[in-house]
Amino acid sequence: MTEHLASFPYLSCMLLSPVAGLFILLFLKEEQRTLIRGVSLVSAGMAFALSIYTFVAYDKQLGGLQFVEKYEWVKGFGITYFVGVEGMNAPLLLLTGIVIFTGVLTMWELQDRVKEYFIFQLALVTGVFGVFMSYDLFFFFLFYEIAVVPMYILILIWGSTRKEYAAMKLTLYLMAGSGLIIPGMLLLYSSSGIATFNMVALHAVQFSPWIQKVVFVLLLLGFGVLAAVWPFHTWSPVGHVAAPTAVSMLHAGVLMKLGSFAILRVAMYLCPQGFQYWAEFMGLLAAVGIVYGVFVGLAQTDLKYVIGYSSVSHMGIVGLGLATGTVDGLNGAVFQMFAHGVMTALFFSAVGFIYDRTHTREIHELGGFSKIMPVASAFFITAALCGAGVPGMASFWAELLVLIAAVQVFPVRGLAAIAALVVGALFALRVVQNTFFNKPNPKFVHFEDVSPFLGLPRMILIGFLIFFGIFPQTMVSLIKTSIVPFIKGM
Amino acid sequence: MDPILLGCLLCVILPLVAFGLIMIFTWRRPNLSLAISLVASTIPLIIAWTMLFKLWGIKEPLIFTFNWLVSDLVKVPFGFLIDPVSLIMLVIVATISWLIQIYSIGYMGGDPGFGRYYADLSLFAMSMLGLVISSGLLQLYVFWELVGLSSYLLIGFWYEKFSASEAGKKAFVVTRFGDVGFFMGLVFLTIFFGSLDIAGLNAAAASDKMPPWLITTSALLIFCGIAGKSAQFPIHVWLPDAMEGPTPVSALLHSATMVAAGVYLLTRIFPFMAASATAMLIILAIATLTMILSSTIGMVATDIKQVWAYSTVSQLAFMAMGLSAAGLAHGTLFAGYFHLTTHAAFKALLFLCAGAFIHHFGTNNFFVMSKEGGRKLTIPMVTVTIAALALCGIFPMAGFFSKELILGTLAHLDNKIWVLLGLFGAFLTSYYTFRVIFVMLFPRADDHPAWEQYWEEPEPHGHGHGDDAHGHGHGDAHAHDDAHGHGHGGHGDSHGVPWVMSFPLLVLAGFTLVLGFLQTPLETFLLGKSEPHEMSFVLLASAVGVALAGIGMAWLDWGRKTASWQGFIKQIPALETFFIQKWYIDHFWRWFLDTFIYGVFSKWFTYNDRRVVDGGVDAVAFSCIGGGRWLSFIQTAFLQFNLLFMVVVLAAVGIYLLMGR
Repeated sequence: MTEHLASFPYLSCMLLSPVAGLFILLFLKEEQRTLIRGVSLVSAGMAFALSIYTFVAYDKQLGGLQFVEKYEWVKGFGITYFVGVEGMNAPLLLLTGIVIFTGVLTMWELQDRVKEYFIFQLALVTGVFGVFMSYDLFFFFLFYEIAVVPMYILILIWGSTRKEYAAMKLTLYLMAGSGLIIPGMLLLYSSSGIATFNMVALHAVQFSPWIQKVVFVLLLLGFGVLAAVWPFHTWSPVGHVAAPTAVSMLHAGVLMKLGSFAILRVAMYLCPQGFQYWAEFMGLLAAVGIVYGVFVGLAQTDLKYVIGYSSVSHMGIVGLGLATGTVDGLNGAVFQMFAHGVMTALFFSAVGFIYDRTHTREIHELGGFSKIMPVASAFFITAALCGAGVPGMASFWAELLVLIAAVQVFPVRGLAAIAALVVGALFALRVVQNTFFNKPNPKFVHFEDVSPFLGLPRMILIGFLIFFGIFPQTMVSLIKTSIVPFIKGM
Repeated sequence: MDPILLGCLLCVILPLVAFGLIMIFTWRRPNLSLAISLVASTIPLIIAWTMLFKLWGIKEPLIFTFNWLVSDLVKVPFGFLIDPVSLIMLVIVATISWLIQIYSIGYMGGDPGFGRYYADLSLFAMSMLGLVISSGLLQLYVFWELVGLSSYLLIGFWYEKFSASEAGKKAFVVTRFGDVGFFMGLVFLTIFFGSLDIAGLNAAAASDKMPPWLITTSALLIFCGIAGKSAQFPIHVWLPDAMEGPTPVSALLHSATMVAAGVYLLTRIFPFMAASATAMLIILAIATLTMILSSTIGMVATDIKQVWAYSTVSQLAFMAMGLSAAGLAHGTLFAGYFHLTTHAAFKALLFLCAGAFIHHFGTNNFFVMSKEGGRKLTIPMVTVTIAALALCGIFPMAGFFSKELILGTLAHLDNKIWVLLGLFGAFLTSYYTFRVIFVMLFPRADDHPAWEQYWEEPEPHGHGHGDDAHGHGHGDAHAHDDAHGHGHGGHGDSHGVPWVMSFPLLVLAGFTLVLGFLQTPLETFLLGKSEPHEMSFVLLASAVGVALAGIGMAWLDWGRKTASWQGFIKQIPALETFFIQKWYIDHFWRWFLDTFIYGVFSKWFTYNDRRVVDGGVDAVAFSCIGGGRWLSFIQTAFLQFNLLFMVVVLAAVGIYLLMGR
């Protein structure tokens, strides 16, 4: 992979802007709420702006790894600070930027321990940015853990609905995942014979097939936990339900993508033969997840559970795309990571607004909400339609690419996934109907609709969904620049 | 930029922009929203008609394509295909949408959701116009799904009503059921043929390159989508329920646009579909069954919109019969397509007239309309009769010409059963159409016993309101139009229908009268040549004969002074119940959904998720806690035990080290 050094450390700035915000927050008093929110918004906004910049400024003609920064860290172990942008992580950096910026805006009304909340949220997002941009296995894993740990505290303190159970479950699950990842990574490191954590260098090493097979399955399951691969998905609906709004947004929108991105970036990239061996299995798990997610979602009555299971199904699309190992499939999978991230962020953002006011997420208690809050409802309905695979939204194209590739590689699994689209539609529309249509519940009629300021983050999310729904090529042409050489290298 | 390309782009972009503007900025302001929407529908109307006149007589299709999405194997072009088939449909769609927007000013005036209504209409217009001029099947599929989306929004427009929100959902899910087949067909074609370009698929070379199984499979899969949109058996069930939307929406969706999209697709890729005789035969059989089925249900409905809805189903089936028969007999697409054109005019007219009555009387029951003096509304009454005559196929209405052509195509088939069934369907059509007309025209005296029956009873009868088993709670379905504050409380009998509503009626009536005589020029335009139709006298006589027989039968049952106002079908109660329950197809689907989707898959997967997957994880967690507690018994805090344990372990390690060397 050709590497083009950065003229200016954009990526380090992107990584450090939440860190800087976090440090400023440490010196503020809890009472200075406006300032706290302002600082968080500015630091998130800077990261957002930089992520847009890297997305737009990435030179598609040139290709390869751009904006590269490389500094030796621990020479003895071969650890380098090595960050860069290519076609497959640029959309995910953008996604993180979008979700953290809108997430801060979404939590504008938070009253409880505002300072601590934003500190942890910024810490979390630092980890996420770090994972997406690192090309050094050690840093990759370090940032991965940084992203996972604050989640525990965020859910435990600001959460709701069985939060202790959910926080503990989530953390244990993810730690168990890490327990599989570490041996896999160390096995690669020790058997490479070049004592480096540099992924690009490790990629050049021909690992023996059995190591690849073992490492791949360790990493697949370990990262798969975070990507909510069936049957390791049960932490995710519970976690979504318990987490506060912006954490759900980050969690479902971005954190789950860490898992699938890591499968692509680490497992498939470093162990191509292992991937060939396990692809069938991976496709099977993904297809089961797609079908299973929609059916279980159909029976849920809590709005956040509904979204949680739709995530299981949509992340199955990502998994299926990855398992095909074709250009179309991988393009679709990366596109779906982005599209699903924005979509779920919108979902949770919309539900959060309603929950903050009504303190219920039970579908049958809500009812007729369109009459009470037409704008807030429109946000949720847009997300639901996007989830139902309506064209004009980004996820339509992503699913299209994955499904066509899947039918080609695994006909039965692909057709089953296509058939699940009907249930997916039924599932989304059932929720919309029961929550927002019919007669309004008189208990809630006095609530005010969303204000333009609070509507802003939701509008930003919808804007991105629709922009990439109408101009999918802006996204696919970028992703393709890294997928085509990626497949060739496998 | 090429003016044609610019025109096509404007047709798609303007309504989309209107939708966005209204939804984001002006939805609270009715007049501004109306203005935006009208601008965005008038310009496409002008463009469409200009293009039709400018390009009249084109031989070679005009194709513009750009890249929309280029991945690897999957390449989705965005483009426009302008040829006679798409031009005529473009004009139909633009005209009908524009007329509906005008009509709705009167019909929907004062509705609290006025702005949103016009936004949805604009989105619908955009999707439909885009569908018509798409150059590739995948692009067509995108717009096809958008049509589904906007119809969902329009049908469920009065979302506070359970029946409306349910109907919208049903329409979307049922058509999606068909679309999954359509999508699979597209995926097969992409993988095995590599291109979804319409012009390329239609080329004779394409079908030679493909193995027959692929053509048949993909044709049938694509037909699933067509059956969903055009409401063919067994997934026609959404269409009658979709009458829950405002009446102008029914007129828009169920005359020339949404449901016609299915038949339009069949026409669009007719050469490709016709390459598989097996597929054509299956389509013919399904269409024939649909036609008979829906006509029989139309005979017993008491809701005027339900009657027209079932008549739509049967007429769409009739078009599909014409097309598939032409495919079998190596004929042309003209018969089916011509009927699509004429049907667009007279069916929109029928619905809009129904809307005028509903708006005025606040009921959907045509017996009630009759009692309240429906025939005094002169313009709707005259135009509805013209449209009904067209539907029955009576000279000189447009329907006469197009139905004649389809029957002629059916008669070309070796097996004469199809044409006989077609004639039988035509008979039923005339009967149920004129049942409505005669009831409206000749109300009985106030003390006539029939009033009792039709005034109060429709609710327990469940006539045409979705079946009761759905638990739809149709309680308020009958009076829904006036429940929504159309502001027709002030309409006395003194003033009839506002001009914005009667103007579209007159325009459409004009089309209904004129279109039939344009048969030859249209055929020349579409096919490049006009073949002389050797019209067999027997067929002509029998076609007109069955139409007149149907009208006569209706006259006997409903029209003449001494008529009993009991349908002849009353004589066979079992059959009547069967028809009223809509052949139990809705029951079947409800049962299927409840038993399999909710009852088996959803329930058991959820159980599995909670008990097995999650339960297993919790079991591991709790057994860890239990194990820890059990191990904690070893920690007794007796120093002796701890020392003893240490010594034992040390001894064991020492022995191992000694022996190991």
